[in-house]
Amino acid sequence: MNTVRISALVGAIAFLVGLAFATFSELKVFLPALLKGLVVTLQVAGLSFVLFLFCSLLAALGRTSANLALRFAAGIYVEIFRGTSLLVQLFWLFFVLPEFGVVLTPMTAAVLGMGLNFGAYGAEVVRGAILSVPRGQTEACIALNMPEWKRLFRIVLPQAFAIMVPGMTNLTIELVKATAMVSAVTLVDITSAAVKQNLIHYRTVEIFLITMLLYYCLCQVVRYGSKLLEVRVSRYRGALN
Amino acid sequence: MNWDWTFAIHTVMPRLLSGIITTIEVTILAFLLAVLLGLPLMLLRVGKNRSISVIVGEIVEFLRSTPLLVQIFFLFYLLPEVGITLPPFATGVLAIGVYYAALCSEVFRAGFEAVPRGQWEACTALNLGRYRTMRDVIIPQMLPPIVPSLGNYLIVIFKETPLLSFVAVAEMMQAAKLIGAEFYRFSEAITLTGLLFLILSLICAALVRWVEFIVNRRIYR
Amino acid sequence: MKTPKIRFDKVTKRYGELTVLDSLDLDIAPGEVVAVIGPSGSGKTTVLRVLMTLERINEGVIWIDGEPMNRMRQGDALVPASQAHVRKLRSKIGMVFQSFNLFPHMTVLGNCIEAPIHSLGLPRAEAEARAEGLLAKVGLADKRNHYPSQLSGGQQQRVAIARALAMQPEILLFDEPTSALDPEMVGEVLEVIRELARTHSYTMLLVTHQMGFAREVADRVCFFEGGKFVEQGEPNAFFTQPQSPRAAQFLSKVLQAG
Repeated sequence: MNTVRISALVGAIAFLVGLAFATFSELKVFLPALLKGLVVTLQVAGLSFVLFLFCSLLAALGRTSANLALRFAAGIYVEIFRGTSLLVQLFWLFFVLPEFGVVLTPMTAAVLGMGLNFGAYGAEVVRGAILSVPRGQTEACIALNMPEWKRLFRIVLPQAFAIMVPGMTNLTIELVKATAMVSAVTLVDITSAAVKQNLIHYRTVEIFLITMLLYYCLCQVVRYGSKLLEVRVSRYRGALN
Repeated sequence: MNWDWTFAIHTVMPRLLSGIITTIEVTILAFLLAVLLGLPLMLLRVGKNRSISVIVGEIVEFLRSTPLLVQIFFLFYLLPEVGITLPPFATGVLAIGVYYAALCSEVFRAGFEAVPRGQWEACTALNLGRYRTMRDVIIPQMLPPIVPSLGNYLIVIFKETPLLSFVAVAEMMQAAKLIGAEFYRFSEAITLTGLLFLILSLICAALVRWVEFIVNRRIYR
Repeated sequence: MKTPKIRFDKVTKRYGELTVLDSLDLDIAPGEVVAVIGPSGSGKTTVLRVLMTLERINEGVIWIDGEPMNRMRQGDALVPASQAHVRKLRSKIGMVFQSFNLFPHMTVLGNCIEAPIHSLGLPRAEAEARAEGLLAKVGLADKRNHYPSQLSGGQQQRVAIARALAMQPEILLFDEPTSALDPEMVGEVLEVIRELARTHSYTMLLVTHQMGFAREVADRVCFFEGGKFVEQGEPNAFFTQPQSPRAAQFLSKVLQAG
């Protein structure tokens, strides 16, 4: 199935590029512009992915902590960032924060906004994974007199990791797609480049299909990576089967 | 700190509130479209015809793997070129509706596959036709378990409506942007937009939980 | 009189309305092997769980070697124990669980060296040497690099025993160690426990449904029901001539069945 999909994809891209070349001499102009946009998209996606993982883990630890204040703070964070729209958050970081004296570069605002927003969703995935590690594992750690933080980092989290991979993969795909919004903070990513090129050349079908295929490829790469990871961590799931 | 209450209450709020109406309209219409389109998509997907189900599956996967914003732009620019002139509002609803139809069809499929095989076998044993089986036995059973997921999509759609501000649909975010452009003040408009979103999505979540409760009570009593 | 290794002093444990341990008293001498038997669902497992500090008790004091475990001395008074105090006393106790609770993401050897390294602070080489010795003793030296999911239930439970022993406890708790096993694997695990009881000076507390085994290895049998020890005694006497009617009824049922 996967090979069929990949060959269809390669065929579609070749066909579109060929079509564009045959009918449309400005291809030389708009393809580089799209590729420049791709670099920005990849930067945003990569950096905010790191921040997303970090926020997810931190907030999940907060929400599962025994400390009431930590639980409360993490809960507020999750509710606020899940309750409002990512686009509103991006605007807020970029246009409102300066009025409070904090000026962010477009890239910082984009990465911060996406990382924090997806971190709030990721926190729930990580929390669910932590809670689904069987209680017997914690009890075994107590019986072996292991310190609490080692219990967390050596026993519970490695097992939770295997459980959270599918959920975090879906969020990562959503994150890749959400990078399309970063033109809100004046970054020129693929989407924004596509819109600009389209306004100049009026080649809607070619430009947008190529744009969509680029995103499709990125998402398939994420899925493929997650498959590889899932195979690697499958042995961790022993206790659940 | 730069916050002006008079400005916030007298200038920003009225405009945002008129934007809210559009936001809610888009949400509801797009959600209905998604559900109504998602069900037939799912039926094609689980249908007997292998090639149709594969093709529909790939289309769904493609829609799921590309950003909604790009699809909105695509429709927005494409439709006039092929001679269909729709107001931006309708284009926006259509784009969001189709995108979430793809996602909803996956939810429907999960619900469909969760109906035990024995139900099909019982229907065969009772000599019910395929259509009757679907309409009277399978669909009524697959719906209640997926109410939470569908409700969740309602909230997600609500939070995605600001995307339409990119194509100048006059929803809340667009109203906020316009205020910002007009007065060179962003704090009040965008912060209030965020707050309104927070409040509305909390209400929405409560509503979804309530519907879930009603549905479950009717099923299990 | 010698200080008991373990002393339960009016220990009470409640879950909401339900009283599981009802002002329970128990003394166990050093090196003694005690089997706790009783109807299922009676909460006999809770006796072990409160001793391992997996559950908090509501009232009473548990003493280990004459030291209060859930409390600590402050002058003449006993105050709620600090985490450090609990950890110090807990290091004397090892536990084997009904469902093994091996760490599925670590090899057999990894399971056995994890706590010695990260709890006792042993150097890796020493922990490995110790673990290998123990694995040889439970007959699993050749499985050291396997993962728990690759082992049979009986093998997993033997690893769990080796893992508990690697902490060099003085007290060993066995919580229905054979209940989750297929019948043909019960024997190998019981054999390991029997060997431990015979050749070592561990104080052992054993919750089991294997009456024959309890009779064979235990120095004393305690019949637990309704939050209390209804009857205690020397195994042969207990199994042949139970004093209380409840114990007699229980024994006639299980012995008939098995």
